[in-house]
Amino acid sequence: MNNLAFENPDAQTIAHALQSRTASRELEVPLLPEVANKVITLSQDPESDAAQLASLIQSDQALAGHVMHIANSAAYSPNATLVSLQQAITRLGMNLISDIALAASISAKMFKAPGFENHIQSIWRHALATALWGKEIARQGRRNVEATFLCGLLHSIGRPVVIQAALDCANKTHTKLSEADVLLLEENLHTPVGVAVAQRWEMPQIVCESIEFFHAYEKATQAREQTTMINGGAAFATHMLTPDQLSAEQLTALPVLADLNLYDDEVQSLLDKKDDIKSTMEAMLGR
Amino acid sequence: MSYDYDLIVIGSGPAGQKAAVQGAKAGQKVALVERDKVLGGACVHRGTIPSKTLRENALRVKNMRANASLANFQLAEDTEMATLIDRLDQVLLAHDHYMRKQIERNKIETIHGRAKFVDAHQLHIAKVRGEAQTLSAENIIIATGSFPRKPDNIPVDHEYLFDSDSILSMLYLPKSLTVLGGGVIASEYASIFQALGVKVTMIDKYPRPLGFLDQDLTDKFVHAFTDMGGTWLGEHTVVSARFDGLAGVITECSNGATIRSEKLLCAAGRIANVKDLCIENAGLALNERGLISVDQNLRTSTPNIFAAGDVIGPPSLASTSMEQGRRATCNAIGLNLGRIASVIPSGIYGIPELSAVGLTEQQAIEANGAAIVGRANFEEIARGQISGIQDGMLKLVCDPQGEQLLGVMIVGEGATELIHIGQMALLNDAPVDIFVESIFNFPTLAEAYRVAALAVIGQRKRAKP
Ligand SMILES: Cc1cc2nc3c(=O)[nH]c(=O)nc-3n(C[C@H](O)[C@H](O)[C@H](O)COP(=O)(O)OP(=O)(O)OC[C@H]3O[C@@H](n4cnc5c(N)ncnc54)[C@H](O)[C@@H]3O)c2cc1C
Repeated sequence: MNNLAFENPDAQTIAHALQSRTASRELEVPLLPEVANKVITLSQDPESDAAQLASLIQSDQALAGHVMHIANSAAYSPNATLVSLQQAITRLGMNLISDIALAASISAKMFKAPGFENHIQSIWRHALATALWGKEIARQGRRNVEATFLCGLLHSIGRPVVIQAALDCANKTHTKLSEADVLLLEENLHTPVGVAVAQRWEMPQIVCESIEFFHAYEKATQAREQTTMINGGAAFATHMLTPDQLSAEQLTALPVLADLNLYDDEVQSLLDKKDDIKSTMEAMLGR
Repeated sequence: MSYDYDLIVIGSGPAGQKAAVQGAKAGQKVALVERDKVLGGACVHRGTIPSKTLRENALRVKNMRANASLANFQLAEDTEMATLIDRLDQVLLAHDHYMRKQIERNKIETIHGRAKFVDAHQLHIAKVRGEAQTLSAENIIIATGSFPRKPDNIPVDHEYLFDSDSILSMLYLPKSLTVLGGGVIASEYASIFQALGVKVTMIDKYPRPLGFLDQDLTDKFVHAFTDMGGTWLGEHTVVSARFDGLAGVITECSNGATIRSEKLLCAAGRIANVKDLCIENAGLALNERGLISVDQNLRTSTPNIFAAGDVIGPPSLASTSMEQGRRATCNAIGLNLGRIASVIPSGIYGIPELSAVGLTEQQAIEANGAAIVGRANFEEIARGQISGIQDGMLKLVCDPQGEQLLGVMIVGEGATELIHIGQMALLNDAPVDIFVESIFNFPTLAEAYRVAALAVIGQRKRAKP
């Protein structure tokens, strides 16, 4: 990596250390929570049923509470009180519950990065919104809807991992990193680190590739469409979460929307889903 | 009145492309408008080529299974679809490269945008990048193809319930698949996925799939399909299909049968794609079959507007669309043309393949009161035995005297290539004896022509009063 404009010159050393650890696969990657892993396996197994998913979620009390809370939120069941997980699954569908469980179990809380909790939380909100928008874009274009949630959810997984690793590294070497330095490291390292995480978690090739080429989707090969949809999804997410950063007009003018071959009326019909997506996202975050 | 172009072609599928190239070759100033980023239409990007690429791998998988004694083979549990269409990128790239070259060489202007009629000579072109524009032309050819018909009771979501445009976007090869329909696309995908080891159930309201072929051929197809482990449910009317909210799709039939599967493919035919075109502004309307009507010159009811390919309906083949496109242009600019060949071969790339040209036995009997047919089973042909081809058959349909060839039908690997021998004989009005008098390579499947012809000739005496 070229030398970056760090405030503290020692940050460059940390950057090199993280980079070489990533390259040699020695970077400490948070474990994919066991529940998340099982949720993925179960949701891909046609033989599995609601009872199995329910008992899996119940094995993790915090997760069970979270899923019930979401299932009972206005976005999902406006006028019903669900009392059992199994009932919730039957009502909402196994796939939705597994999306909810995935989003909840791989979450901002996985990371220990004192001082950066809010930042990581906002990365996470954005990832979730990207996942949900990605799905809608895929549906609109009759393209891979299935994989998009996972790809969207994980597209920025490298960011919190870099932050955590950088802070760890700084601690161990008694280096002081400024917030700006950490953010610069995050910006420059999240892609290779994200790929390393996805590989360690044994995610499908399409997920690994969509992380690798998120910023340069035109370079993706196997997962080009998927990556373009995630990139577009992220733009819709930014617009939804921080409209002052990206207005509807700016969004519409983004090259990625043209690359997705979305005509104005099609963009508009996607934007019409904003409220739905927002409430789904809030519900998934347990608001 | 002067126009921006002599000819504007809308749509870059097989029909549009050949229409544009023909126009340019005749010295016309031509624009080709395409709403997608890429040229090639359904044929290249959603239909023909991708499905045939998947088929190639399905065949390999099937053969490897069959030759388990040669190589211990099992398809991984979680095979990603992308692996199974792995060569597609290269195929498409090569195709795209060749197509673009042809278009550039012929100085055709390609316009990326979505066309809509303003009037019979003007088109409004919406863009994904930049300002919209209005273009005019003396002649316009509509070649906007078709899209999958969506029955009201089948909520296609492209996640559990797919149509033929989205089926290949599945992430993983599913464990089970329900296929609604018994037409060409349904039969192709059903047998391809079954060959890949997916548990496929094919449902249709008719007793047999591919009802436009004779029953002895479709019986062979159904036999091969069920032999691989597939289930054919004929005479079943689907009432509803839906995602069960858990992990799969439930399909219910009017007779009470319920089928559960991980995914579903709805292949209920295709309809003309005119939804963005506003054809009424050009004085056009869809006919009762949801298609654009044309006369034998491919001219619509508005004299300067022609249509070709899937928008005008059957046979809805890439092969035919190309020729229609070329002809539409020739007619528009007054170039002389022979009659369009009435014998159009149809190729069905199922596993096994099927192909037909000319009359079926059924049609020959309807036309002539009787027919003499000769059959050759591939199992009896040396090449068939060597290659282990089962369920293969070639059938020659002749007039009641057993002299004039009227049609050829083939089921079995190689059918779509083999058919052209019969097609050439038909085009030349050849007597069936031509297959006996000519010498074919040995061992080849083409030898089946000879065997079947001998079977026809053997029946001549009996046919004579
Ligand atoms: C799964 C599948 C398998 C098939 N297999 C075979 C096969 O093996 N052999 C065979 O011969 N045929 C096959 N076909 C049929 C074949 O694909 C079609 O017959 C052929 O593509 C029709 O060509 P077309 O040019 O009419 O339309 P298309 O190929 O559909 O092209 C139409 C083009 O018009 C564009 N368009 C639409 N509206 C507008 C607009 N308003 N402005 C600008 N552009 C517009 C579309 O984007 C598209 O690119 C298959 C089809 C499918 C779906």
